[in-house]
Amino acid sequence: MPPRLRCPTARGMGLGSALGPSSRRVPTLLILTSITTQPSTQTRPYAAAAAPSISVAGGLNLPDGYVPPTRPPTARPADARKAQLLRTYTSLLRSTPLMLIFQHNNLTAVEWAAIRRELRRALAEVQTPTPPPVDFVSKIQLQVIRTRIFDVALKVVEFHDPSRVAPTTVKTASGAKTTMKFDHDLSEAAYEAIKAATASGMPESSQYAELSPLLVGPCALLTIPAVSPAHLAAALNILAPSPPAFPAPSRKKNPGYWDPIAQSGLQKLLLVGGRIEGKVFDLGGVRWVGGIENGLDGLRAQLVHMLQNAGLGLTSVLEGAGKSLWLTMESRRSVLEEAEKPAAEPAAEGEGEKKE
Amino acid sequence: MITRFITEVNTKFNPFSAKSRSARLFLAFLPPTARSSGMVINTQLLPKTSTDPSSLYIKFKDGKEMNLDPETMAIKSIVEEVDRHSRSLQKAADLE
Repeated sequence: MPPRLRCPTARGMGLGSALGPSSRRVPTLLILTSITTQPSTQTRPYAAAAAPSISVAGGLNLPDGYVPPTRPPTARPADARKAQLLRTYTSLLRSTPLMLIFQHNNLTAVEWAAIRRELRRALAEVQTPTPPPVDFVSKIQLQVIRTRIFDVALKVVEFHDPSRVAPTTVKTASGAKTTMKFDHDLSEAAYEAIKAATASGMPESSQYAELSPLLVGPCALLTIPAVSPAHLAAALNILAPSPPAFPAPSRKKNPGYWDPIAQSGLQKLLLVGGRIEGKVFDLGGVRWVGGIENGLDGLRAQLVHMLQNAGLGLTSVLEGAGKSLWLTMESRRSVLEEAEKPAAEPAAEGEGEKKE
Repeated sequence: MITRFITEVNTKFNPFSAKSRSARLFLAFLPPTARSSGMVINTQLLPKTSTDPSSLYIKFKDGKEMNLDPETMAIKSIVEEVDRHSRSLQKAADLE
C-alpha cells in the first residue's frame, strides 16, 4: 500500500480557511457587503449568491468545495478506495475477454518484480502471423486484486442490468424537479439487484456461481485485452509451465527466468482457473485455449477445411449411388441386347462391344 | 501458525469446489521463505469436473505425519491441530 498522503483539500477547504483571509472568501464578502450596504437597490440577492456558492437560508454562504470538519475526505489514495476499486473491477470484467486467476502465496515484492519482468519479456517476443490491429501487449498486466471487492464486482456485472433501472424524480439545488437515472455500479439499484440475486439462491449455471469458489484467499489476475492464444501460451510458458506443450524457457536462452528469486516466486504462484469470453475454464481448459495454433484464424481455417472435406465426401457418396445404378443398368442393358439379338450380324455385335 | 517444524506439505484440491477453501488458505499461511528453508510443498490441482476429495498431508521434523481433512475442517481448526504438535516440538527445542 502506498504511503498515506496529506490531502490538501482537508486543510484548504475547512471552515477556518473559508472564513480566514484567503481569496476564497472574496465573493462571499462581496455579497454580504452588497446586501448590508445597499438593501434597497439589491433586487435579486439569490441570483448573485447562487453563482459561486450555495446559499443556505439565513444568509450563510458556503464555498463550493466546502468539506464539513466532521466528515473529512478520506486519506486513502484515490485508486485504492473501495468505490474506485469496484469501478475498476467492473470495467475490467466488462472489457477483458481473457483473464487468468492465480493464487499467490506470500510472494515478496522482488519476486513479483522478477515475475513481471520475465512475463513482459516473453510477451514482447511473441510472433503472430498477422499483426494485431491494436498493440495490446503493453496493456497485459498481472495484478493483485482485492478478492472481496472483486467478488462484489462480479455480482454487479452479472446481476445488475442498468437498462432496467427506473428513473427517479429528484430535487435540484434550486428546487426544480428533474428525473434522473441512477444506474451506475455504485448505485442503490445495483446493490438491490445483487442482494436480490444472492437471496434467491444463486443458479448453478451463473458465471458468478462458477467463479466465486476460485476467489478464495490471496488472488491475482493476469488480464489480456484480446483473445490471443499465442500470447496466452507465452504467458503460460512463464507462469505455469507444463512441458511438452508449454515448456519453460531454457536456461541458456533466458537465464533471468532461472534466477532463484524468480523461481521461488513462480513456485508460490498457482494458476487456479480462467475466464475466457465469459466462460469459466479450469487449468486444462486454459491450456487447451493456449494450444490453439494460429489463433482464431487457425480455428476458422480448420473449420473451413473440415466443411470442405465433408462436402467432398457427400458429393462422392451421392455420386457413387447414381454411378453404381447407371453401371448396373448399363450392364443389364448390354446383357439384354445380347440376349435379344442372338443371331445378329457380327458387324453390329462388334459395334456393341466397342461401345461397352 | 508455527511452520518451523513442518518439513513437507502435500495438498490436492479442486479449486472449483467450495470445499477446497481451507486447503488453499493453508497454503497461503506458509511463510515466503518456506521453500528456501527446506520445506517441500507439493500441490496437485484437480480438474473442474473431478469429485475427488481434497486432501492435506503434513509431515513434521520429528517424523510425525498428519492427514487432515480440509473438506470438513475449517482453516482455524487445521491451524490449531498443526500448532498443537508444533508447540510440543517448540518446547523440546527450547529445553535443549
